[in-house]
Amino acid sequence: MGAAQTKQQTDNSSIDALITLSDKLKENKTKNMSLTDVIGVAELLTSSLQPLLRQIDSTIHTELRGILMRIEGLRHEIAKVRADDISENKIPEMGRELSAIVDATEGATNSIMEAAEAVMEYDGNDIEEYKNMVSDQMMHVFEACSFQDLTGQRVTKIVETVEIIEERINLLCEMLDMSGTGEEAPKEELNAKQQRKKDLLLNGPALDGEGVDQSAIDELF
Amino acid sequence: MAIDNAMPILIVDDYATMIRIIRNLLKQLGFLNVDDASDGTQALERIKEKKYSLIISDWNMEPMTGYELLKQVRAASDTARTPFIMVTAESKTENVIAAKKAGVNNYIVKPFNAQTLKGKIDAVFGE
Repeated sequence: MGAAQTKQQTDNSSIDALITLSDKLKENKTKNMSLTDVIGVAELLTSSLQPLLRQIDSTIHTELRGILMRIEGLRHEIAKVRADDISENKIPEMGRELSAIVDATEGATNSIMEAAEAVMEYDGNDIEEYKNMVSDQMMHVFEACSFQDLTGQRVTKIVETVEIIEERINLLCEMLDMSGTGEEAPKEELNAKQQRKKDLLLNGPALDGEGVDQSAIDELF
Repeated sequence: MAIDNAMPILIVDDYATMIRIIRNLLKQLGFLNVDDASDGTQALERIKEKKYSLIISDWNMEPMTGYELLKQVRAASDTARTPFIMVTAESKTENVIAAKKAGVNNYIVKPFNAQTLKGKIDAVFGE
Protein backbone atom coordinates (compact mmCIF):
# COMPACT_ATOMS: atom_id res chain seq x y z
CA MET A 1 0.00 0.00 0.00
CA GLY A 2 1.46 3.37 -1.06
CA ALA A 3 1.83 6.37 1.24
CA ALA A 4 -0.66 8.35 -0.85
CA GLN A 5 -3.28 5.61 -0.57
CA THR A 6 -2.74 5.42 3.22
CA LYS A 7 -3.11 9.20 3.50
CA GLN A 8 -6.31 9.10 1.41
CA GLN A 9 -7.77 6.43 3.73
CA THR A 10 -6.83 8.43 6.82
CA ASP A 11 -8.41 11.56 5.32
CA ASN A 12 -11.61 9.63 4.47
CA SER A 13 -11.91 8.18 7.98
CA SER A 14 -11.26 11.62 9.45
CA ILE A 15 -13.98 13.10 7.30
CA ASP A 16 -16.37 10.29 8.31
CA ALA A 17 -15.62 10.92 12.00
CA LEU A 18 -16.07 14.63 11.48
CA ILE A 19 -19.44 14.10 9.78
CA THR A 20 -20.57 11.83 12.63
CA LEU A 21 -19.58 14.39 15.23
CA SER A 22 -21.13 17.17 13.20
CA ASP A 23 -24.43 15.26 12.98
CA LYS A 24 -24.39 14.71 16.76
CA LEU A 25 -23.83 18.42 17.31
CA LYS A 26 -26.65 19.33 14.91
CA GLU A 27 -29.00 16.96 16.71
CA ASN A 28 -27.79 18.29 20.04
CA LYS A 29 -26.71 14.76 21.11
CA THR A 30 -23.84 16.05 23.14
CA LYS A 31 -24.43 13.90 26.24
CA ASN A 32 -22.25 11.03 25.02
CA MET A 33 -19.56 13.37 23.67
CA SER A 34 -16.33 13.33 25.59
CA LEU A 35 -13.66 16.01 25.81
CA THR A 36 -11.55 13.74 23.62
CA ASP A 37 -14.24 13.93 20.95
CA VAL A 38 -14.31 17.73 21.09
CA ILE A 39 -10.49 17.93 20.92
CA GLY A 40 -10.66 15.47 18.06
CA VAL A 41 -13.08 17.74 16.19
CA ALA A 42 -10.83 20.70 16.83
CA GLU A 43 -7.78 18.80 15.60
CA LEU A 44 -9.63 17.62 12.53
CA LEU A 45 -10.83 21.13 11.72
CA THR A 46 -7.35 22.56 12.17
CA SER A 47 -5.71 19.91 10.04
CA SER A 48 -8.34 20.20 7.32
CA LEU A 49 -7.91 24.01 7.20
CA GLN A 50 -4.14 23.86 6.99
CA PRO A 51 -3.87 23.27 3.21
CA LEU A 52 -6.29 26.18 2.66
CA LEU A 53 -4.35 28.46 5.01
CA ARG A 54 -1.10 27.46 3.32
CA GLN A 55 -2.63 28.33 -0.06
CA ILE A 56 -3.98 31.69 1.19
CA ASP A 57 -0.63 32.47 2.76
CA SER A 58 1.15 31.73 -0.49
CA THR A 59 -1.30 33.84 -2.55
CA ILE A 60 -1.01 36.81 -0.18
CA HIS A 61 2.75 36.48 -0.21
CA THR A 62 2.81 36.49 -4.01
CA GLU A 63 0.45 39.49 -4.16
CA LEU A 64 2.43 41.45 -1.58
CA ARG A 65 5.65 40.66 -3.37
CA GLY A 66 4.09 41.94 -6.63
CA ILE A 67 2.95 45.16 -4.93
CA LEU A 68 6.37 45.64 -3.40
CA MET A 69 8.06 45.20 -6.77
CA ARG A 70 5.60 47.66 -8.37
CA ILE A 71 6.31 50.23 -5.61
CA GLU A 72 10.05 49.74 -6.09
CA GLY A 73 9.59 50.25 -9.83
CA LEU A 74 7.52 53.39 -9.28
CA ARG A 75 10.08 54.78 -6.85
CA HIS A 76 12.75 54.24 -9.46
CA GLU A 77 10.64 55.86 -12.20
CA ILE A 78 9.51 58.77 -10.00
CA ALA A 79 13.16 59.48 -9.24
CA LYS A 80 13.59 60.04 -12.98
CA VAL A 81 10.96 62.82 -12.85
CA ARG A 82 13.23 64.74 -10.45
CA ALA A 83 10.39 66.69 -8.89
CA ASP A 84 12.81 68.45 -6.52
CA ASP A 85 14.74 69.76 -9.51
CA ILE A 86 11.50 71.17 -10.96
CA SER A 87 10.39 72.89 -7.73
CA GLU A 88 13.82 74.01 -6.54
CA ASN A 89 15.48 74.96 -9.83
CA LYS A 90 13.34 74.97 -12.95
CA ILE A 91 10.29 76.93 -11.74
CA PRO A 92 12.26 79.58 -9.76
CA GLU A 93 14.55 79.95 -12.77
CA MET A 94 11.53 80.59 -15.01
CA GLY A 95 10.25 83.17 -12.51
CA ARG A 96 13.59 84.98 -12.60
CA GLU A 97 13.65 84.93 -16.40
CA LEU A 98 10.09 86.29 -16.60
CA SER A 99 10.90 89.08 -14.12
CA ALA A 100 13.96 89.95 -16.18
CA ILE A 101 11.76 90.13 -19.31
CA VAL A 102 9.30 92.46 -17.57
CA ASP A 103 12.18 94.69 -16.38
CA ALA A 104 13.82 94.72 -19.82
CA THR A 105 10.63 95.62 -21.67
CA GLU A 106 9.75 98.28 -19.10
CA GLY A 107 13.26 99.78 -19.32
CA ALA A 108 13.18 99.77 -23.12
CA THR A 109 9.70 101.32 -23.24
CA ASN A 110 10.77 104.09 -20.89
CA SER A 111 13.89 104.81 -22.97
CA ILE A 112 11.86 104.94 -26.19
CA MET A 113 9.22 107.17 -24.61
CA GLU A 114 11.87 109.51 -23.20
CA ALA A 115 13.32 109.86 -26.70
CA ALA A 116 9.89 110.48 -28.21
CA GLU A 117 9.01 113.01 -25.51
CA ALA A 118 12.30 114.85 -26.05
CA VAL A 119 11.60 115.14 -29.79
CA MET A 120 8.01 116.27 -29.24
CA GLU A 121 8.97 118.82 -26.61
CA TYR A 122 11.61 120.61 -28.73
CA ASP A 123 10.54 124.19 -29.06
CA GLY A 124 13.63 125.80 -30.64
CA ASN A 125 13.94 127.31 -34.12
CA ASP A 126 17.39 126.00 -35.08
CA ILE A 127 16.93 123.32 -37.75
CA GLU A 128 20.52 122.03 -37.39
CA GLU A 129 20.15 121.72 -33.63
CA TYR A 130 16.79 119.98 -34.11
CA LYS A 131 18.31 117.49 -36.60
CA ASN A 132 21.17 116.64 -34.24
CA MET A 133 18.79 116.25 -31.31
CA VAL A 134 16.47 113.95 -33.30
CA SER A 135 19.47 111.94 -34.52
CA ASP A 136 20.74 111.51 -30.92
CA GLN A 137 17.32 110.50 -29.66
CA MET A 138 16.88 107.97 -32.50
CA MET A 139 20.19 106.37 -31.49
CA HIS A 140 18.73 105.93 -27.99
CA VAL A 141 15.68 104.29 -29.57
CA PHE A 142 17.91 101.86 -31.50
CA GLU A 143 19.84 101.03 -28.33
CA ALA A 144 16.62 100.43 -26.43
CA CYS A 145 15.33 98.08 -29.15
CA SER A 146 18.17 95.65 -28.37
CA PHE A 147 15.88 94.41 -25.58
CA GLN A 148 14.10 92.28 -28.17
CA ASP A 149 17.21 90.11 -28.70
CA LEU A 150 17.74 89.63 -24.95
CA THR A 151 14.11 88.93 -24.14
CA GLY A 152 13.93 86.56 -27.13
CA GLN A 153 16.78 84.52 -25.64
CA ARG A 154 15.12 84.51 -22.24
CA VAL A 155 11.81 83.38 -23.74
CA THR A 156 13.63 80.55 -25.54
CA LYS A 157 15.11 79.40 -22.20
CA ILE A 158 11.63 79.46 -20.62
CA VAL A 159 10.15 77.46 -23.49
CA GLU A 160 12.91 74.85 -23.09
CA THR A 161 12.23 74.60 -19.35
CA VAL A 162 8.48 74.24 -19.92
CA GLU A 163 9.21 71.43 -22.40
CA ILE A 164 11.36 69.61 -19.81
CA ILE A 165 8.58 69.91 -17.22
CA GLU A 166 5.98 68.74 -19.74
CA GLU A 167 8.16 65.73 -20.61
CA ARG A 168 8.51 64.76 -16.94
CA ILE A 169 4.81 65.16 -16.21
CA ASN A 170 4.00 62.96 -19.21
CA LEU A 171 6.44 60.36 -17.89
CA LEU A 172 4.74 60.47 -14.49
CA CYS A 173 1.29 60.09 -16.09
CA GLU A 174 2.50 57.11 -18.11
CA MET A 175 3.99 55.28 -15.14
CA LEU A 176 0.87 55.87 -13.06
CA ASP A 177 -1.36 54.85 -15.98
CA MET A 178 -3.11 58.19 -15.70
CA SER A 179 -3.39 59.01 -19.39
CA GLY A 180 -6.61 58.28 -21.20
CA THR A 181 -8.39 56.71 -18.25
CA GLY A 182 -11.54 58.58 -19.19
CA GLU A 183 -12.01 59.51 -15.57
CA GLU A 184 -13.43 62.94 -14.99
CA ALA A 185 -10.92 65.21 -13.29
CA PRO A 186 -12.01 66.36 -9.84
CA LYS A 187 -13.47 69.85 -9.85
CA GLU A 188 -10.78 72.36 -9.12
CA GLU A 189 -11.24 74.24 -5.87
CA LEU A 190 -10.51 77.92 -6.29
CA ASN A 191 -8.70 79.91 -3.64
CA ALA A 192 -9.92 83.40 -2.74
CA LYS A 193 -7.65 85.10 -5.28
CA GLN A 194 -8.71 82.78 -8.12
CA GLN A 195 -12.38 83.15 -7.19
CA ARG A 196 -12.03 86.93 -7.22
CA LYS A 197 -10.43 86.82 -10.67
CA LYS A 198 -13.25 84.61 -11.91
CA ASP A 199 -15.97 86.80 -10.39
CA LEU A 200 -14.46 90.00 -11.78
CA LEU A 201 -13.95 88.48 -15.24
CA LEU A 202 -10.21 89.09 -15.19
CA ASN A 203 -9.03 87.18 -18.24
CA GLY A 204 -6.14 89.37 -19.33
CA PRO A 205 -5.18 90.06 -22.93
CA ALA A 206 -6.74 87.75 -25.49
CA LEU A 207 -4.62 85.86 -28.01
CA ASP A 208 -4.92 86.51 -31.74
CA GLY A 209 -8.26 85.17 -32.92
CA GLU A 210 -9.74 85.27 -29.42
CA GLY A 211 -11.74 88.09 -27.88
CA VAL A 212 -13.37 90.81 -29.96
CA ASP A 213 -11.81 93.67 -31.89
CA GLN A 214 -12.49 97.36 -31.43
CA SER A 215 -15.02 97.57 -34.28
CA ALA A 216 -17.12 94.77 -32.74
CA ILE A 217 -17.02 96.54 -29.39
CA ASP A 218 -18.02 99.84 -31.02
CA GLU A 219 -21.19 98.18 -32.28
CA LEU A 220 -22.24 97.54 -28.68
CA PHE A 221 -22.16 101.28 -27.89
CA MET B 1 -21.44 118.53 -21.91
CA ALA B 2 -18.90 119.98 -24.37
CA ILE B 3 -15.27 119.04 -24.64
CA ASP B 4 -12.98 121.51 -22.96
CA ASN B 5 -9.21 121.08 -23.30
CA ALA B 6 -8.78 122.34 -19.73
CA MET B 7 -11.18 119.77 -18.27
CA PRO B 8 -9.69 117.60 -15.52
CA ILE B 9 -9.12 114.00 -16.61
CA LEU B 10 -8.19 111.09 -14.36
CA ILE B 11 -6.17 108.17 -15.77
CA VAL B 12 -6.31 104.96 -13.70
CA ASP B 13 -3.82 102.23 -14.52
CA ASP B 14 -1.45 100.06 -12.49
CA TYR B 15 1.29 100.31 -15.13
CA ALA B 16 3.24 103.55 -14.95
CA THR B 17 4.22 103.05 -18.59
CA MET B 18 0.59 102.90 -19.67
CA ILE B 19 -0.22 106.04 -17.68
CA ARG B 20 2.66 107.76 -19.43
CA ILE B 21 1.44 106.61 -22.86
CA ILE B 22 -2.15 107.79 -22.26
CA ARG B 23 -0.89 111.05 -20.77
CA ASN B 24 1.22 111.68 -23.90
CA LEU B 25 -1.68 110.80 -26.20
CA LEU B 26 -3.96 113.18 -24.28
CA LYS B 27 -1.26 115.85 -24.47
CA GLN B 28 -1.13 115.34 -28.24
CA LEU B 29 -4.91 115.82 -28.31
CA GLY B 30 -4.55 119.04 -26.32
CA PHE B 31 -5.59 117.81 -22.86
CA LEU B 32 -3.09 118.95 -20.25
CA ASN B 33 -5.09 118.85 -17.01
CA VAL B 34 -4.44 115.19 -16.28
CA ASP B 35 -4.03 113.31 -13.00
CA ASP B 36 -3.40 109.64 -12.46
CA ALA B 37 -4.03 106.81 -9.98
CA SER B 38 -2.57 103.32 -9.82
CA ASP B 39 -5.80 101.44 -8.98
CA GLY B 40 -9.47 101.89 -8.12
CA THR B 41 -8.86 102.62 -4.44
CA GLN B 42 -6.43 105.43 -5.19
CA ALA B 43 -8.77 106.71 -7.91
CA LEU B 44 -11.63 107.01 -5.40
CA GLU B 45 -9.36 109.09 -3.14
CA ARG B 46 -8.55 111.40 -6.09
CA ILE B 47 -12.27 111.65 -6.97
CA LYS B 48 -13.10 112.68 -3.39
CA GLU B 49 -10.56 115.52 -3.64
CA LYS B 50 -11.37 116.76 -7.15
CA LYS B 51 -14.27 116.67 -9.57
CA TYR B 52 -13.18 115.09 -12.84
CA SER B 53 -14.86 115.58 -16.21
CA LEU B 54 -13.59 112.26 -17.55
CA ILE B 55 -12.22 109.05 -16.07
CA ILE B 56 -10.11 106.76 -18.27
CA SER B 57 -9.52 103.49 -16.46
CA ASP B 58 -7.86 100.13 -16.97
CA TRP B 59 -9.87 97.07 -15.89
CA ASN B 60 -7.27 94.65 -14.57
CA MET B 61 -5.82 96.19 -11.40
CA GLU B 62 -5.38 95.23 -7.76
CA PRO B 63 -6.60 95.74 -5.10
CA MET B 64 -9.59 97.45 -6.78
CA THR B 65 -10.30 96.73 -10.44
CA GLY B 66 -11.58 99.25 -12.97
CA TYR B 67 -14.89 97.38 -13.06
CA GLU B 68 -15.30 97.77 -9.29
CA LEU B 69 -14.29 101.42 -9.58
CA LEU B 70 -16.90 101.96 -12.30
CA LYS B 71 -19.63 100.49 -10.09
CA GLN B 72 -18.59 102.68 -7.15
CA VAL B 73 -18.44 105.78 -9.33
CA ARG B 74 -21.91 105.07 -10.69
CA ALA B 75 -23.26 104.37 -7.18
CA ALA B 76 -22.20 107.79 -5.84
CA SER B 77 -24.66 110.58 -6.66
CA ASP B 78 -22.02 113.23 -7.48
CA THR B 79 -20.15 110.97 -9.95
CA ALA B 80 -23.05 108.90 -11.27
CA ARG B 81 -22.95 110.76 -14.59
CA THR B 82 -19.18 111.32 -14.89
CA PRO B 83 -18.02 110.09 -18.30
CA PHE B 84 -16.07 106.85 -17.86
CA ILE B 85 -14.02 105.15 -20.57
CA MET B 86 -12.59 101.68 -19.96
CA VAL B 87 -9.20 101.19 -21.64
CA THR B 88 -8.21 97.56 -21.28
CA ALA B 89 -6.81 94.36 -22.68
CA GLU B 90 -9.96 92.55 -21.47
CA SER B 91 -11.61 92.12 -24.85
CA LYS B 92 -14.11 89.30 -24.29
CA THR B 93 -17.67 90.16 -25.22
CA GLU B 94 -18.87 89.21 -21.72
CA ASN B 95 -16.51 91.81 -20.23
CA VAL B 96 -17.72 94.54 -22.56
CA ILE B 97 -21.36 93.70 -21.82
CA ALA B 98 -20.68 93.61 -18.07
CA ALA B 99 -18.97 97.01 -18.24
CA LYS B 100 -21.82 98.45 -20.32
CA LYS B 101 -24.39 97.16 -17.83
CA ALA B 102 -22.37 98.76 -15.03
CA GLY B 103 -22.61 102.09 -16.83
CA VAL B 104 -19.40 102.55 -18.83
CA ASN B 105 -19.67 105.20 -21.57
CA ASN B 106 -17.16 103.66 -23.93
CA TYR B 107 -14.61 100.89 -24.17
CA ILE B 108 -11.17 100.84 -25.81
CA VAL B 109 -9.12 97.70 -26.35
CA LYS B 110 -5.36 97.98 -25.89
CA PRO B 111 -3.24 98.67 -27.87
CA PHE B 112 -4.79 101.79 -29.35
CA ASN B 113 -3.73 105.06 -30.92
CA ALA B 114 -4.47 108.75 -30.42
CA GLN B 115 -7.18 108.72 -33.09
CA THR B 116 -9.10 105.90 -31.36
CA LEU B 117 -8.86 107.72 -28.04
CA LYS B 118 -10.01 110.98 -29.64
CA GLY B 119 -12.90 109.18 -31.33
CA LYS B 120 -14.10 107.73 -28.03
CA ILE B 121 -13.76 111.02 -26.14
CA ASP B 122 -15.73 112.75 -28.92
CA ALA B 123 -18.40 110.03 -28.78
CA VAL B 124 -18.72 110.23 -24.99
CA PHE B 125 -19.18 114.02 -25.15
CA GLY B 126 -21.55 113.72 -28.11
CA GLU B 127 -19.34 115.48 -30.60
